[in-house]
Amino acid sequence: MARMAKLKDSSGNRILRPRRVVLAVFAFVSFIGVSFWGCNVIETGPFAMKTANSVGGSSHRGFSIFQQHCASCHGEDGQGVDEEYDEPLLGKRSINSLARYIDRDMPEDEPENVVGKDALRVADYIYKEFYSVEARYRKGLMPRVELARFTVPQYRNAVADLLLHFTPEVSQELGKEVPKEKEEEENYEIEDKPVELRPILPGLSAQYYQSKGMNKANEVQVERVDRRIEFDFGTRSPAESITPDQFSIVWQGSLLARQTGFYEFRVSTQNGARLYINSENTGQRKRMRDDSSVAGQAAVIDGWVSSGEMREITARIFLLGGRQFPLRFEFFKYLEETASVKLEWKQPGGAWSVLNHNHVNTSFSPRTFVVDTPFPADDRSFGYERGSSVSPGWHAATTNAAIATSAEIVDRLPLLAELDAEEDNEKEEESAQDGTDKEGFAQEENLKRVESFKSFVLNFASLAFRRPLTEEEKQLLGEEMFANAVNPQGAVRRALILILKSPSFLYADLTPENQAPDQYAIANRLSLAIWDSVPDTILLEAAGKGELLTPVQIETQARRMILDTRARSKMRRFFNHWLELEDRDIAKDKTLFPEFDESVVADLRHSLDLFLEDVIWSEGSDYRQLLLADHLFLDEDLKKLYGTSEIDAKNPASAGNRQSGDNFKPVVYSPDRRSGVLTHPYLLSAFAYHNNTSPIHRGVFMTRNIIGRELKSPPEAVEFKDEEFSPDATMRDKITQLTRDQACMSCHKVINPLGFALENFDAVGRWRTEDNNKAVVTRSRYVTEDGEILEVASARDIAEFAIESESARRTFVIQLFEHLVKQPPHAYGLDTIDELEIGFSQDDFNIQNLMVNIAVLSAGYGPATLQIAQSEK
Amino acid sequence: MTPTNYTRRRFIRDLGIGSAALPFLSGLPSLQGKLQTGADAPKRLVIIFSPNGTLPGEFWPDQFGADVPLELKPILEPLAEFKDRMLLLKGVDNKMGGDGDRHMRGMSCLLTATLLNPGNIQGGSDTPAGWASGLSIDQQVRNYLQSQEKTKTRFGSLEFGVAVPNRADPWTRMSYAGDNKPLAPIDDPAQMFEKLYGGAKGRADIASVLDYVRDDLRRVSGKLSSDDRSMLEEHVQLVRQLEDDIAAAEQQSELDHQEPEIDPNIELINDNTPEISRMQIDLLVNALANDMTRVATLQYMRSVGQARMRWLHIEEGHHSLSHEEDDNEDAYEKLIRVNVWFANELRYLVQKLDQMPEPGRGGETMLDNTQIVWVNELGKGNTHTLNNIPFALIGGGCGFKTGRALEFESVPHNRLWLALAQGMGQHDLKSFGSEEFSVDGPLNLS
Repeated sequence: MARMAKLKDSSGNRILRPRRVVLAVFAFVSFIGVSFWGCNVIETGPFAMKTANSVGGSSHRGFSIFQQHCASCHGEDGQGVDEEYDEPLLGKRSINSLARYIDRDMPEDEPENVVGKDALRVADYIYKEFYSVEARYRKGLMPRVELARFTVPQYRNAVADLLLHFTPEVSQELGKEVPKEKEEEENYEIEDKPVELRPILPGLSAQYYQSKGMNKANEVQVERVDRRIEFDFGTRSPAESITPDQFSIVWQGSLLARQTGFYEFRVSTQNGARLYINSENTGQRKRMRDDSSVAGQAAVIDGWVSSGEMREITARIFLLGGRQFPLRFEFFKYLEETASVKLEWKQPGGAWSVLNHNHVNTSFSPRTFVVDTPFPADDRSFGYERGSSVSPGWHAATTNAAIATSAEIVDRLPLLAELDAEEDNEKEEESAQDGTDKEGFAQEENLKRVESFKSFVLNFASLAFRRPLTEEEKQLLGEEMFANAVNPQGAVRRALILILKSPSFLYADLTPENQAPDQYAIANRLSLAIWDSVPDTILLEAAGKGELLTPVQIETQARRMILDTRARSKMRRFFNHWLELEDRDIAKDKTLFPEFDESVVADLRHSLDLFLEDVIWSEGSDYRQLLLADHLFLDEDLKKLYGTSEIDAKNPASAGNRQSGDNFKPVVYSPDRRSGVLTHPYLLSAFAYHNNTSPIHRGVFMTRNIIGRELKSPPEAVEFKDEEFSPDATMRDKITQLTRDQACMSCHKVINPLGFALENFDAVGRWRTEDNNKAVVTRSRYVTEDGEILEVASARDIAEFAIESESARRTFVIQLFEHLVKQPPHAYGLDTIDELEIGFSQDDFNIQNLMVNIAVLSAGYGPATLQIAQSEK
Repeated sequence: MTPTNYTRRRFIRDLGIGSAALPFLSGLPSLQGKLQTGADAPKRLVIIFSPNGTLPGEFWPDQFGADVPLELKPILEPLAEFKDRMLLLKGVDNKMGGDGDRHMRGMSCLLTATLLNPGNIQGGSDTPAGWASGLSIDQQVRNYLQSQEKTKTRFGSLEFGVAVPNRADPWTRMSYAGDNKPLAPIDDPAQMFEKLYGGAKGRADIASVLDYVRDDLRRVSGKLSSDDRSMLEEHVQLVRQLEDDIAAAEQQSELDHQEPEIDPNIELINDNTPEISRMQIDLLVNALANDMTRVATLQYMRSVGQARMRWLHIEEGHHSLSHEEDDNEDAYEKLIRVNVWFANELRYLVQKLDQMPEPGRGGETMLDNTQIVWVNELGKGNTHTLNNIPFALIGGGCGFKTGRALEFESVPHNRLWLALAQGMGQHDLKSFGSEEFSVDGPLNLS
């Protein structure tokens, strides 16, 4: 029998994303859906067996049936047989479901041999002997918490946060500049001015200066906040008090990078400009002259010199998602005829657009070091990112990253190791003046410097290892490294490389399997679960004081931690994953959908981000809103595209914490049309062809991700060829025809109704009532896993069913668990998912609470907890 | 080292191939006979820049003439040993007018000998300007050498810097690949090292810690369950593999001359300038010795450089000093020391080249086949004159007649660059930079 081929459609996309599924390829055979960490629903229907806990065994009435009809292909223990059915027999179907299946389709060659009561008996036997989750627990075959190294996002976040720990905060105080008239005054104290903090607003703070010859920023005339950098001044001046022949503008603030990847920036101007991104904050630049620049920092784009001709200069920079980066853009006109300036950017996988206030704010940020070394992708074979293996590529990447990181640190060592350079210089001058021993002084200073380096290294190591150092480690890193080095910086460099290559850094949790986690391990697990990063000072202090003992204490920390932006960033990655948003090509046929261009796609993605963020981070954090919400966040352009005829002018039933000052506003739709994320145009477009809808893609997505039913890959790859159908057929007609074969129908009877229910939305997610000049029909019968028959005709029907379905909720819980913890949920106990799901339901489906519960559970997990869970059975 | 050996290694270097590829290349027939003994000697060009003009009284000899023996004044005293390989040229002027102030033109018209584009950069006086409108002589020579198989090298040219600020403007750029195409010097030895010998940088550091990493892995592994050990075992394997790779790479270095030891941790701060200068010169000489390039420039600071040479116990900025009147004895004395310091750096370069035998050519050193030119943006700091630029040529690369000082009658420096280009082999070059100033052809320096 052929095994799981990765079947692809004509564009090379895998048709269905295979989880741990098993495939039997025969034209007329249906197959068993299997999943290792499966659902465990105990039947209560007419065929239910009384005690789910009773075992199989040879006295079971199904035993002999199995031996006679099944074992030759499936093995005596259901372990599989080479050349027959070589995968283990396990999964998450209920006994009834198994029975129905066996009745219909098994044994393969002669399905009529085992039917009716026999089918039920053997199903019961199989279930209790080796098929179900409990059976596997009993046999000791359940998954365990495995050793894991950092995933790539964890690595990058950990390094960034480690350096940030030592990077001084940037003051948000306003007005640190010495006013011009006071510049000569020796004793003028800046502190004389009252402290004012800069307000944090969307956009960039802008200062407009009158220039005078070489002095570009001679006198500030206007200060305001600009929401986008796109100006055409022509021959004019930007402000009344500025002459039109020479002026300059400085924009400053922070750039918000939502995702990790390469960002491109493009400056278009005929004048002079310089762009600094992620530069160290070296204090306010007092002057801006032609012969000066930001001290010690290289501009990402240096277009200062110009001969008056319009040009575009582009640069690329790798940024880390979920972080803010300092941005400074300087522009000047000097005697050219005209002036104009535009600053555009392109996010990873996005389109060029003018950098606008949705992505920058006026705060000041410190430099965040980003490891831009390319890493091989993490394993995704279980459906989530895992650090489950090492490879030469990974090893080379961590080596290069260690070198790059230690170089960065050594470059900035005086700042990071808190060497007070000014103080040193003053002292040196003092000693020089009063004639004390200069040599001795220099030596003393050198010793102090070496001591600060040593203490920096030890501090860094302890944070990197997420625990206090052992005496050997202190000796090695704090003494031996320095004794053997050519100079102190060289010692620091090597020590840092050793730390970053050490397994104590690279592996997520080294608590041995048979041990309970100590306080530091708990802190470590919490920060990995919620932030994909290392613990912060507060968490480490709590660990040090032994304040992570009780679940309540741990929960308190977790609740504090989900408010941090790193938690938002982690959840954004969860949604990328759950909604399959990554690596999507959403481009559409330009003749059919002329208005659907790259910037619409970028805006839709933003709209989706806003919607998801609004649901999770609002007070209710209600999962049901994800599926049922009646509104979308749109700007004026998107509103035009997505039909005013649909739009209700009401206020949305719920739209939580949205900050105003953004031109994306909640827009309410009629509830019999749109429903939450299922009908967000971005998703509807993503799961569609470039020139038509795709009920199959939409149906598969909803089946697997929303409703939570297993689907296996199709038995043969079938391409959708429009020409093969009648020219006046609707998409529904075509799909129905394409999948009518019995072999296809076993899955497609589940997939198609869901896909058809969304046929009112075209390939770009717009409402339509006709397809190919015929009325769209969305109504279908849908059979649930439990055999219930439903009528679905709209997204809301599907959404409401999903909310009510325990199986759907469990899928959500499982996926969130896997994303946060990166381990199989059943490794944490047989009833873990059950309990989490029950808690979730009773809690009004509060996602934040679910996050906290999952994090706390994984943090405190140890052999004791496992024993308790098992003994309670 | 036999010529055959030389050619094989040179070929590998040219391709930038690492040691791993060595076994596969050994059999290639075309590698034989690439460079015959007795063939033309390689020609190299090195241009060194220092800012703010010189002190004419301390630089120029009292007497000039084709047959007058050369007498060195204080600023050139450090190079006394190489007097007979030196050629001083007075009366060679930077005649480029047009846009830009003297400093800008002094810098960006120096090697390009052409006008600056009109632009938006305002200097201390005159009209604002942009970039130079043509390529510089080092790039002219580079292009010529790269156009021929025999003289082609992996990099073509390398631009070195010492204490160059992190910005692009007509005061910080002297090399141009063409109109509006400035080339940035690399002033970080670690960065230059990475460019030339990439990968080698971190090798030593990595090698030194791998033992500890393996110990660490073993210790950790011992505490884990057997199920979890397999990943760690693989990890240990990868560490061992890396150790082997590094050891192999060290053994099989294909360079004629080992990469120089430089301190990658050196802070790029003012007070480290002397150390950084020597590292850059080491890297430069090595790059020439390994034939990775035949053209190199070394730019100290920038036009209007305000270096505070504290290592010479001078607290004032160079540019400020250069604007003092001649009768300010204190400033004058300091300026002498500043320029002597530059001369000493030049001496270090010259000495290193003279200590390297020219491979395949008995009796010759690399200096015999290298043309070094010390240039400055101005003739004199406090007058901003662009006349009598203190051109000092050392070495035999162009075949000029050395051991003398020549005084010309205010000739455009285009003609010097023409002579240089022709001396480097491009005999058919008739004009360089501004055509108007090239009409009289190359200076006769042979």
